[in-house]
Amino acid sequence: MPEKLDKHTLNNGMVVLGEPMENVASASFNFLLQCGASTLPEGCCGASNLITDWLFRGAGKRDSRQLVDALDGLGLHRNSNTTSSHISLSASMEASNLSKAIDIYSDIIISPLLDARQFELSKQLSLSEVMGLDDDPRTKVLLKLAEQFYPDPFGRPAVGRIEDLNNLTPAGTAEILKERFNLSKAIFSVAGKYDFDSVCAQMEKLFDLPQPAFPVKIKTKTSGSKYLHDQYEGAQVHIGLMTKTVPMSSPDYYNAMAAVSVLSGGMSSRLFTEVREKRGLCYAVGANYRSLKDYAGISCYAGTTPDKAQETFDVVISEFDRLRKDITQDETQRAKVGLKSSLIMQSESSSSRAGTIASDYYLFGRVRPIEEVKEKLQQLTADSIKNFLNNNKFEDYTVVTIGPKKIKA
Amino acid sequence: MDFIQKKLENGLTIVAEVNPRALSAAVGFFVKTGSRDESPAVSGVSHFLEHMMFKGTEKLTALQVNEAFDRLGAKFNAFTSEENTVYYAAVLPEYMEEVTDIWTQLMRPSLRDDDFDIEKNVIKEEIAMYKDIPMFDVMDRCRALHFKDHPCGNSVLGTEQSIDDLTSEQMREYFTRRYAPNNMVLACCGNIDFKKICDLIQTKCAGWQKDKAGRTCEFYNGSLEKKFSQKETLVRDHICLLSPAVSMQDKRRFAMSMLSMIIGDSTGSRYFWSLVDTAIAEIAGMQCESMDGVGVMYSYIRCSPDKRELVMQKLNDIFKEINEKGVTEEELQKAKNKVLSALTVKSEQPMGRLTSLGFNWVYLEQYQSVTDDINSIRSVTVKQVNELISEFKPGCFTQLSIGPGKTD
Repeated sequence: MPEKLDKHTLNNGMVVLGEPMENVASASFNFLLQCGASTLPEGCCGASNLITDWLFRGAGKRDSRQLVDALDGLGLHRNSNTTSSHISLSASMEASNLSKAIDIYSDIIISPLLDARQFELSKQLSLSEVMGLDDDPRTKVLLKLAEQFYPDPFGRPAVGRIEDLNNLTPAGTAEILKERFNLSKAIFSVAGKYDFDSVCAQMEKLFDLPQPAFPVKIKTKTSGSKYLHDQYEGAQVHIGLMTKTVPMSSPDYYNAMAAVSVLSGGMSSRLFTEVREKRGLCYAVGANYRSLKDYAGISCYAGTTPDKAQETFDVVISEFDRLRKDITQDETQRAKVGLKSSLIMQSESSSSRAGTIASDYYLFGRVRPIEEVKEKLQQLTADSIKNFLNNNKFEDYTVVTIGPKKIKA
Repeated sequence: MDFIQKKLENGLTIVAEVNPRALSAAVGFFVKTGSRDESPAVSGVSHFLEHMMFKGTEKLTALQVNEAFDRLGAKFNAFTSEENTVYYAAVLPEYMEEVTDIWTQLMRPSLRDDDFDIEKNVIKEEIAMYKDIPMFDVMDRCRALHFKDHPCGNSVLGTEQSIDDLTSEQMREYFTRRYAPNNMVLACCGNIDFKKICDLIQTKCAGWQKDKAGRTCEFYNGSLEKKFSQKETLVRDHICLLSPAVSMQDKRRFAMSMLSMIIGDSTGSRYFWSLVDTAIAEIAGMQCESMDGVGVMYSYIRCSPDKRELVMQKLNDIFKEINEKGVTEEELQKAKNKVLSALTVKSEQPMGRLTSLGFNWVYLEQYQSVTDDINSIRSVTVKQVNELISEFKPGCFTQLSIGPGKTD
């Protein structure tokens, strides 16, 4: 696979990354702006999510309607997302529309209208989204889990908190946005079919706005409680649990990924086999590696009817504990092939690559070539995974349950 | 990209779209069976059977099956709808024959009693899981309300009771009839060696016995009833609307899906401007689902219970206006652009092509390339869309709402 990475830094400090792809007719881009949930001042939880709606309610010379019409007119497949660290604005399109789309997005980032009446509508939608979580216990349990697991403010729920959202004002929120949409800290990535020189020339012209750096200060507090239960008279008990592991920047990152893959990668993985196949306790059970820049954990979700909740939890925990003792060669091999397949299949999609190269740059300070990742996966052995697990034992678990019955955690 | 097709003597059809430049390959067995093909006595059997197909053969245990797939790094799964059960896998090209080989073995499963008993629990957990997802719950129940006695109203999951009552004997009988080779299509695409796949299928599947599968297909306009159902644990209202639409066999299905985008896409649609942009509802969307001989337009709306009346009023205004004035050229153009770029992105991966390749054969015995689809979408006219509005009247719908209580 021919692999090339384009990189250029604009005069204002914004990094522009590109990965050209053969055989595709699309282009995708992604802006990472340092305005994630953890960067917000105290008492403003949810402001980032509100901003992602407000931004699209008019920008440059276009009012709300004209802006959405212009974006839809290009057929953009777009997505706005808030993480702990960033707001990410991304879009995929037929490659011929790339330049027009970048034009419109520069308006959205540099000169959003930020109309006060439109603000109230964005706020209403943000509040509704938080309230809607009460009808979606599965999503809610994972949000609560992150909130309990990570030291505050890193686990703040991106959707926000009702009391904070109620207190937000148009002026205060605009201030948050202006300080944090700092172009010198922004990362722009593009993947697919594009011409890098013309993308850079266009970006240089559109974003030629030197800005004083705004230092985001984050005071880290302690994590939440170890077990939290929300009483909810639903059909199932939704169980979320999470335990600490190494972040992506660690040399042991690939061992951690492989360990999670043995635990929950495919249908022959430990959790699926022990919880679902052998005991029929759950339909949905699975573990994931979740990483911020400096903190990471392995999380697990299981949903089960109340009478089976305790047994499900106990089996899951015993599988986590057993993992460091007996990983086989065959399991290691399956984990490696599974991770490699995912990597190559994602590399066929421009939107997936645009997202990955931007987040790599933020997390590692560079983009890992696909060949390098393959090589690292190739080097994994059952012993390397076991050594890693023995040196980084799962010591304790943060547990959240939502449902009609508590468990002993 | 080349299209190739072959039919075995027992009726099993192989269709392939070969793209030597792809980095991966995908394969799937498409079985023309689902909940609409079930009698009330075996409600939920299609979906339960889909789970059981992974439990192995005379030679393979369930764990060996899962290990075999995972050893190839396969992204594999299956799904069951009202009228299709699809088993698929995406792999790197070097594993394509092996993964196809596993599927051919699994399509003749042993359906052991002890596996059947354990899996019953998993199915019942799945039923419980969906009860906690109000969007699914309201759409499933609205579908039953809309279709009444028409088989498309049958629940895919069945009920806890119907699953409890189901026997492995009944499942085996259903399997023999519905998983006959003449009722199945094998689709594959991406970087594949068609000849090798064909040789493999010939060796492994030529001995499968034909059977009478069949299906009753009648168009149905829907009951158009309206109901509210109270569920005290909820905090939002969840509203589902269903109205009739064209079938998969109807060439106007591209125009129909444009209409559903104009009314209810997640951005820039009539629903969006009237309900979401104004924060009256937080979610409002419409989709068109064309099926065998019948079709529906689905809407799902989520809002605060005190906004339900306002939502209904706004919906009436939207449908009144679209009935009287139809859609505009500009709206249609935007809908086309959105569909075309989504199609471009999706088609870049073999897995993204697989379902469209398979379903085109299942319903139409026809190959539609990405270019064919693009042309079909481009050729839709405002006149065609407006004619569909007059004929299918999207403003006349079946409605089910669930929420914490009556507010009026």
